Amino acid sequence: MIRALGVVLAALTLLIASPAAGLTVRDMLGRDVTLPLPPQRIVSLVPSVSEIIFALGAQDRLVGRTDFCDYPAAVLGKPSVGGMVNPNLETLVTLRPDLVFATDEGNREDTVQQLRRLRIPVYLVHANRIAETVDLIARVGALTGREADVSRVTGDMQRRIEAVRRAVAPFPRRRVLYVLWPDPLIVPGRESMLTELIEVAGGTSITATDGEAYPRFSLETAVARAPEVIILADHSTGASTAGRSAPEKWKRLTSVPAVQAGRLHSADLSILHRYGPRVPEGIETLARFIHPEAFP
Amino acid sequence: MSPAGRLAFVLGVMGVILVAVTALALFVGSAGLSPQAVARALAGRAGAESVESIVTLQLRLPRVVAAVLAGGALAVAGVAFQGLTRNPLAEPAVLGVSSGAAFGVVLAQIFGLELSFLQALGVATFAFAGALMAAAAVYLIAVVPGGLSIQTLLLAGVIVGIFFTSAITVLISVMDYNRLGGVIYWLLGNLAPIPASSLALFAVLALGGCWLILRSARELNLLALGEEAAVQLGVDAVRLKRRVFAAAALLTGSVVAFTGPIGFVGLVVPHMLRGILGQDNRLLVPTALVGGGIFLLAADTLARNIVAPAELSVGVITSFCGAPFFVYLLRTRYRVSL
Repeated sequence: MIRALGVVLAALTLLIASPAAGLTVRDMLGRDVTLPLPPQRIVSLVPSVSEIIFALGAQDRLVGRTDFCDYPAAVLGKPSVGGMVNPNLETLVTLRPDLVFATDEGNREDTVQQLRRLRIPVYLVHANRIAETVDLIARVGALTGREADVSRVTGDMQRRIEAVRRAVAPFPRRRVLYVLWPDPLIVPGRESMLTELIEVAGGTSITATDGEAYPRFSLETAVARAPEVIILADHSTGASTAGRSAPEKWKRLTSVPAVQAGRLHSADLSILHRYGPRVPEGIETLARFIHPEAFP
Repeated sequence: MSPAGRLAFVLGVMGVILVAVTALALFVGSAGLSPQAVARALAGRAGAESVESIVTLQLRLPRVVAAVLAGGALAVAGVAFQGLTRNPLAEPAVLGVSSGAAFGVVLAQIFGLELSFLQALGVATFAFAGALMAAAAVYLIAVVPGGLSIQTLLLAGVIVGIFFTSAITVLISVMDYNRLGGVIYWLLGNLAPIPASSLALFAVLALGGCWLILRSARELNLLALGEEAAVQLGVDAVRLKRRVFAAAALLTGSVVAFTGPIGFVGLVVPHMLRGILGQDNRLLVPTALVGGGIFLLAADTLARNIVAPAELSVGVITSFCGAPFFVYLLRTRYRVSL
């Protein structure tokens, strides 16, 4: 009798959970996506989205990630489908996702089209501003049925960002050169969120009006714009030194105000390149580099 | 055995190998499907939404077809260029034609074209235009009164190739960091499940190009005797060269448009076949079509599985297999003739 009841209950659950009731939503690139609500099996091809899913407590629905999704540590327990540029479609399909998160910055449009042809709903995200990051968190919350957690996460973020704004407000803005990659020199441009983060942290990016998101830049121009703070992003991982900015090289540029004032910083700033719940952490680090006097 | 009998025999053997490699390609992969599951999907007895059906019919099968078409087209383009230049080193990549096509595709990618049908037509047009431009440049540099200088032709190919590679580098330099990964990935040469409509377009272009070259095979044989001799035997050498150049550019352009630049196929396959069949282009063109397909399909199956669940680019595999094999050929078979 109890077993029979169990079978009936299981059948009922299946019926309720069946994705018959599709919902059409508009993603962040304005494309319509029809998906089961709430999706039960999510694959995230975007490291920031994987972080957001965990921050919202929706990790039970995450069934796949990329090799680049490395935070929080628990995400490493989920199966990976490969890189962001070349995820393995076979592996992805065997995870039976009912929703895939992808981005137009880092994934290939080809991948998105291939998934659509397999009738796997793809939700494209795009966040270049703090406000868009907050919007993205709200969207992921709504899609995963964790609306209640959104304000907890974003409220905390906004409080911390506000605190930094207040702390640096009394000080004059400093000109900042952010070096995303040393050789060739790649910097955050007009459309990069880093430009806004530097602004919030009490600086002005000297490359704020250049290029698209991450243009290549001439060292000569960078020196001519006399940065007062230079921040070198350190991408080296373990034994690999590729992407490590050599501060010595920059110290030779003694005419640059930043070098004279000793405001040349090198740090692992991968959090600054993600649009997720750790944005305030990145802003706090930046602010300490730009205005150490504001944080005694 | 008569040439026709030999062709039938070799094609028969190669057909069997192609079927075997195709079966292997369909049955192995990172999804780890059981052979029964794959067979079920192939027989149409699996649900359309089932994993085995999606993986077998929508991921592996279109990729197998793309690999066979691309490999065949590249090998035939190799035969054509070698016949045309009377030089065993000639190949789409060596003559700069691949680079021209690749430049066209990177340009198309900057304009945001992808691989849906209409856009694929656009990308293929860009690739063909690039290939044709490169081929025409090589031809015009090498043409001298009364013929085509073979040495100059190869040098012109190298120069034109370097020029278009630099042009691609210029495009990459001004491109945003975010899009770089995708373009570099494409430049390595990768096969992917292509949508059916685009696959049909690819097939039409590739088979059309092969047909044009097959039609010229007899005249290419005569050209091997030397241009003067060919003209005396009634070959319109100038027209033949233009036609074969255009057809080989079409083959190269279509492959580059749909898979990215893949090297060495046009070198390895024709040379292997010459070892078996001799120099007759009428035998080489049809067998290169099948042989190139086998070679690239085997390479792609390796690329999919050797580091699974990650994937290697098939261009890397063809170069890794092709380069040592070519050195071997040079050191043994062609030692005397070169």
